[in-house]
Amino acid sequence: MALVRVKGVLDHVLDKNLQDLVRGIRNHKDTEGKYISECIEEIKQELKQESLVVKANAINKLVYLQMLGYDISWAGFNIVEVMSSPKFTFKRIGYLAASQSFHDGTDVIMLTTNLVRKDLNSTNTYDAGVALSSLSCFMTGDLAHDLANDIMVLMTSTKPYLRKKAVLLMYKVFLRFPDSLKPAFGRLKEKLEDPDPGVQSAAVNVICELARKNPQNYLSLAPLFFKLMTTSTNNWVLIKIIKLFGALIPLEPRLGKKLIEPLTNLIHSTSAMSLLYECINTVIAVLISISSGLQNHATSVQLCVQKLQILIEDSDQNLKYLGLLAMTKILKTHPKSVQAHKELIMQCLDDKDESIRLRALSLLYGMVSKKNLMEIVKKLIVHMEKAEGAHYRDELLSKIIGICSQNDYRFITNFEWYVSVLVELAAHKGMKPAQGRAIANQLLDVAIRVQQVRRFAARQMSLLLRNHTFDKQRGGGGSAGLVEVLYAAAWICGEFAVCLAGDEESEDARRATLEAMSLPYVLQLPGEVQAVFVHNQVKLYANLLLAESDAEERVALTTELLTRLEQFVHSEDLEVQERAVCAHQLLKCTAKALRQAAASKTAAIFDVGDVATEDGAGSTAEADGDAVIDRVAKELSGLFAGELNPVAPKAQRKVPLPEGLDLDAWINEPPAPPKSEFDEPVKRKSGKSSGRKKEPEAAVSATVGASASGATNYSSSDPTVAWGGASGGGFEQKEYH
Amino acid sequence: ALSEPLKAMIKAILIFNNHGKPRLTKFYMHYAEDEQQQVIRETFQLVSKRDDNVCNFLEGGTLIGGQDYRLIYRHYATLYFVFCVDSSESELGILDLIQVFVETLDKCFENVCELDLIFHMDRVHCILNELVMGGMVLETNMNEIVARFEEQQKLQKSESGFSAMPNRAVSTVRDMNLSQKLRDIKIPDMPSFSSLYQ
Repeated sequence: MALVRVKGVLDHVLDKNLQDLVRGIRNHKDTEGKYISECIEEIKQELKQESLVVKANAINKLVYLQMLGYDISWAGFNIVEVMSSPKFTFKRIGYLAASQSFHDGTDVIMLTTNLVRKDLNSTNTYDAGVALSSLSCFMTGDLAHDLANDIMVLMTSTKPYLRKKAVLLMYKVFLRFPDSLKPAFGRLKEKLEDPDPGVQSAAVNVICELARKNPQNYLSLAPLFFKLMTTSTNNWVLIKIIKLFGALIPLEPRLGKKLIEPLTNLIHSTSAMSLLYECINTVIAVLISISSGLQNHATSVQLCVQKLQILIEDSDQNLKYLGLLAMTKILKTHPKSVQAHKELIMQCLDDKDESIRLRALSLLYGMVSKKNLMEIVKKLIVHMEKAEGAHYRDELLSKIIGICSQNDYRFITNFEWYVSVLVELAAHKGMKPAQGRAIANQLLDVAIRVQQVRRFAARQMSLLLRNHTFDKQRGGGGSAGLVEVLYAAAWICGEFAVCLAGDEESEDARRATLEAMSLPYVLQLPGEVQAVFVHNQVKLYANLLLAESDAEERVALTTELLTRLEQFVHSEDLEVQERAVCAHQLLKCTAKALRQAAASKTAAIFDVGDVATEDGAGSTAEADGDAVIDRVAKELSGLFAGELNPVAPKAQRKVPLPEGLDLDAWINEPPAPPKSEFDEPVKRKSGKSSGRKKEPEAAVSATVGASASGATNYSSSDPTVAWGGASGGGFEQKEYH
Repeated sequence: ALSEPLKAMIKAILIFNNHGKPRLTKFYMHYAEDEQQQVIRETFQLVSKRDDNVCNFLEGGTLIGGQDYRLIYRHYATLYFVFCVDSSESELGILDLIQVFVETLDKCFENVCELDLIFHMDRVHCILNELVMGGMVLETNMNEIVARFEEQQKLQKSESGFSAMPNRAVSTVRDMNLSQKLRDIKIPDMPSFSSLYQ
């Protein structure tokens, strides 16, 4: 019997192990897929064996295959089997597989609860250790609920190794099972003063993460962290604490003020760049939160900016990057301090490192002035041409538009220049719709609001419509962005058609534009854009009609447009169809009226001989004909008369209410309340507060009460917490050096 | 809060070579296998275009895509070590951590090279588990990590009997064509005890 079992094991001695598998895959480079399928079949057979040794080996191989992209969830049950092996060697393989492949949707997880609990309570340190580590990767709500106590117990294990892991794991437990936080918190706080630095570090880590999510609740721990900050020599711990303070500062400005000095000292004394950087970051956060007390902290701002300048000038690209990152934060509240380093930042725009260029770009907002805007934009456009990555190019475009349009175009001195910039940007190949839309919006915005630039803008748009290189073959695939700009171009030409009229400087561009707007490619544009094209053709036409004096010409114009519009009448897009059909009908009526008027004019001319006595009458008929035509033209253009002005978003509020209108009064009688003994009659009064219910306030005070009692729980036993005191607490007495 | 996705501080740790072949992948948030492979490919694309003397921080990519995350990476010989982290981590601190990870690998494997990672991925995971747990930094002291790893290796060796033979023994056995010999063994009949006490 024993020999048979030995035989069985020996049979499987020749199973491939992990190394064999890897070697095999490397030797089958051309037929990798097929080879791996065979191996998976072998693994499936191995998993049918009774021996845990064999199964563990199989699972070890599966973990490797998972890394190559193969789903191994079908082996979930076997993984659990291997996890339950009494030997660490195999157990750890099972746990590794679990941490790599188990997730919320894995149903075998519910089979693991007891075996994990057994391992957590094992006398073998590493059994517990591997269980803790692995569990951190697949903690579910149920597991958190069932194992919270076991993990909490481990927080006070005699072995620091297990305490450390248990503390860190509690964070996952808290996330999945929030009710576990309250009972565990006391113990967690104790761990902040654990003799083992690793455990202490883990506790700091967990509390910092908790505080990030809910800063308010951890404000009371600030003094404790202050103490830690001044006594710890572990840079990781210091960094976490300082970052934590950064999150607490917005809630408690006094904390910020107290931190400036110790942080400044750290900045001067530390040689660890990572710590230095975090100190600077937090000092910046303090300065932002107390920006009202600017005068007192001018030196701190100076110190930060000075240190950041050193970082940015460093040859180490990492420091440069982080320096720029921190500068971006200062920019919001102290733009002048950043502007002093304009040259340095402009240099960074030329850096070969894209990450650094992107950082420098985001600083540009604060750098720009009326004098340097054009220079900066020119530089950015050059960058756009050289840019390799689409992401960077898109960033550049957004930035160009951003800095130009910020503060209502405050820094633009020449709008014609800006329109040309936009046109230049629109010509870029491979532009995405979002970018095209941004450009289009700018063109529209500028054309509407800046009257003086309309002539230039309209002419530019006309040129664009006539000369652009929309790729008809590819259906505009490479010019998705350009399509959006065409939308703006068509609208501007239609709305400001009058600007396209001939004058001393240029020819009349209206007819040419009109023709360009009904070229065959337009039918391939998206519906919304086509609709605009159709509608604005009519606007342009109306303008032309008004300007044209010759009757025959007018009729010709009308019939021409009628023909061109026919291609849109059968469009699949409903909006296009509707507009085209409406326009078509309108034009038909106009054409009819024009023809009649023209005919009566002609008749009047030819009738002169017959109606000799009615000289006046003949010329009246002619005059009548002209008058009719004029009136038709005027009415038509009346459809599009009136300037569209941009309206401020808050304008509605400024509109005075007409007399006697009460917006809060009920329009109809309220319905009769349902007849029930439990319902109180609903009292309504007309007037301002009629609709507002009182109930929500009760709910609000309930939750405040709950969290208040929760808060006292955490800080009740601690006499050092005199934080809320009016005097600023017993803080003054402590030394921080 | 229960339905809130687990936002890890470290979202993923990837090791891949200069051709993009993965050598270790650890995701601390759930991604299906095909998504994982896409992330690996995309990260490789982003990282491999970088010169050797630019900064070690990257923006842009699916792993990141507008959220709070950043890619922090280091290039050692033929391998890229990439950590995807959120803003709760100190960027320079993570760079140091990667260095600790690599030095630890070096100590545990004795002058570690890519082949070590290729053939002993499970051991690399064992080491990593002492460094980072569930996306949070667990230990930063190299000696402590090495000590824990070596104790676990020792434990496994002490458990090994017949079933955990070292590789050389296995290959020796393989060369003996043992399976054929086993099939040829004639097991003699054992005497039955009952006959002795008749």
